[in-house]
Amino acid sequence: MFTTGRRGDRVCRLIGLIGVVAFLVAAFSPLADRVNLWLSVPPDLVRADAIVVLGGSVSRSGVLSLESQRRTSRGIELYQRGLAPLLVFLGGSSEGGPNEADVRAEQARLHRIPGSAILTDARGNTTREEALRVKALLHPRGARSVLLVTNAGHLARARPLFERAGFEVHAAPSDTFGEADAPESRLSLMRGLLKESLGWLYYRIVGYI
Amino acid sequence: MEATFIAALAGLTSIGAYYFGARVLRLSSVSLAAAIGKMLESVGIVLIFLAVNLTVAVLIVLIARSVTGLFVSAYVTDDAVWLGLSLIQGLAFQWWRESAAEPSPVRPSRD
Repeated sequence: MFTTGRRGDRVCRLIGLIGVVAFLVAAFSPLADRVNLWLSVPPDLVRADAIVVLGGSVSRSGVLSLESQRRTSRGIELYQRGLAPLLVFLGGSSEGGPNEADVRAEQARLHRIPGSAILTDARGNTTREEALRVKALLHPRGARSVLLVTNAGHLARARPLFERAGFEVHAAPSDTFGEADAPESRLSLMRGLLKESLGWLYYRIVGYI
Repeated sequence: MEATFIAALAGLTSIGAYYFGARVLRLSSVSLAAAIGKMLESVGIVLIFLAVNLTVAVLIVLIARSVTGLFVSAYVTDDAVWLGLSLIQGLAFQWWRESAAEPSPVRPSRD
């Protein structure tokens, strides 16, 4: 591949050309927004047996990441709207820090949600593990329908996992569609979409979904 | 608006650089096409390094998970530093190829 001959040079130039064109199109055209609109799962906010808030990340000092905070707020809002009697928070810890699920549960209690309505699980490391943990948590309680809270791009991969775990899943995206107009935000969006698409592809290949 | 401003500014500085190169440095317009070809070649090598780095990282994560049974996050690949490192690797490799292709300078004899 890395020969000094003409063929190697041509291959590198072709890859370079594709890379430069892809970069310019992603940064300076609305392609990322169009792909995002096409891939994201629309909200389906109906009454369910439980609201399930998927894990994001938490710092060692116990501060939720922006995405985790967004999902937590969405879960609390859905509970306060009376869409389900149970609120499930997921998410482990970061290198010995507090569990994300516990930090979220504390926030929910501060919003006057009764402790009896809150369930937590911090042992799922991947979306697939989270689906299995939630099944073990909710099926004995007779809960079969869930409002699944995560970002819209992640829902495309998370929803079939929860359906496979035996749930009737209703999408409750934590983010709303908004057009990214700055080149950096378009590139960031495209990177996120690419990451989620690769994750979805991996789950398909190994047979998780 | 922001995208238009950035694109317009980059276009203007590119035109300025072309005039500076052609008029002040007296560079040939013909060699510009070869320079763009070399630039694409360098970008291609950087992208190859990026793809290899990320593929190897994912494979190591998957092997580590299956061998040790411990959870290793694949999100280690979701870091902009991979692009920076691949840029350094790719440019160094490209210049290594270039210098290897050039004839070695003839050293004057001490006799």
